[in-house]
Amino acid sequence: MSRTQCEPREGLRFFGRISASVSHEIKNVFAVINEAAGLIEDFTLMAGRGVPLQPERLKSAANSIQGQIKRGDAIVRNMNAFAHSTDEDVREVNLVEALRLAADLTARFADMRQIRLTVGESEPASMVACPFDLTRLLHSSIVAAFDSMQPGDTLAVSVSPYGGGASFSLSVPGKDAPLKNDEPFAELARAMNARVEVDEKTGTSQLLLADKGAPA
Amino acid sequence: MKVLLVDDEVELVSAMAERLGFRDVDADWTDNGESALAMAEETDYDVAVLDMKMPRLSGLELMELLADRHPDMKFIFLSGHGSEADFKAGCAAGCNYLIKPIQLEDLVALIRKVAA
Repeated sequence: MSRTQCEPREGLRFFGRISASVSHEIKNVFAVINEAAGLIEDFTLMAGRGVPLQPERLKSAANSIQGQIKRGDAIVRNMNAFAHSTDEDVREVNLVEALRLAADLTARFADMRQIRLTVGESEPASMVACPFDLTRLLHSSIVAAFDSMQPGDTLAVSVSPYGGGASFSLSVPGKDAPLKNDEPFAELARAMNARVEVDEKTGTSQLLLADKGAPA
Repeated sequence: MKVLLVDDEVELVSAMAERLGFRDVDADWTDNGESALAMAEETDYDVAVLDMKMPRLSGLELMELLADRHPDMKFIFLSGHGSEADFKAGCAAGCNYLIKPIQLEDLVALIRKVAA
């Protein structure tokens, strides 16, 4: 895959959009921890006034805090991986990991539309690519797929090797193939030597990425 | 005084409701706008505390629907964002606005203020 020549401002806008989404998620994590800690404080204050402590309530609040710390850690780990995607212009990219990262970073966008986003079984695949642009392309294509979906739908994505490049598959079980309209990311796809194929028979769309120098 | 809390973070909104109860504020909660509309048909809520960003119905959209059906209901918004757009939208709706994570005493004070 060739390095994209896209407008740098668009890349910065994408970085901002993901960062804003991640910061919102982290804010929610802090908010839940804050209330769980507040509950524990309330219980102890009431105990000071003679109300018996209920161990199961303390345990529940502690579990909530532990669960949110685990959630927050995963969010920050993804944000860290995303930030480091700008370290090198191009490198060998594990495409299964890249797809999982893009899906995780897009999960909140899916939640807001009440769409379930799942990463299906993928074949090991890797290629030389610009990690940041690849994340942007995958995010943009997944969000474009949401536009043809309804609340309650599930978008299943996976990746497999394709020629010297890769094929990212997008499908909505029980529904028509998504990505019939690739206009929202068409310019980026062209710049990255990628194209979309829609197979109505299988209800699957493929985002095909060519190996460096080869046509998609 | 009856308060309705609406936030898609269940652990957050349930804990807030319980903590408000310890402070003599009778609060029900739900994690979605559609359920909030149904609950408001059954119970007269004085104040609704709404998360700004929720799936399907945003806090502002939910406020418009609730206000249309329950003209006396007062509203407070909660947001994880400090974004200017959200803040301006919240202000246009009355400026009762807290940024998460909140101090519960601030929320209690704001509830009592808007309900007065």
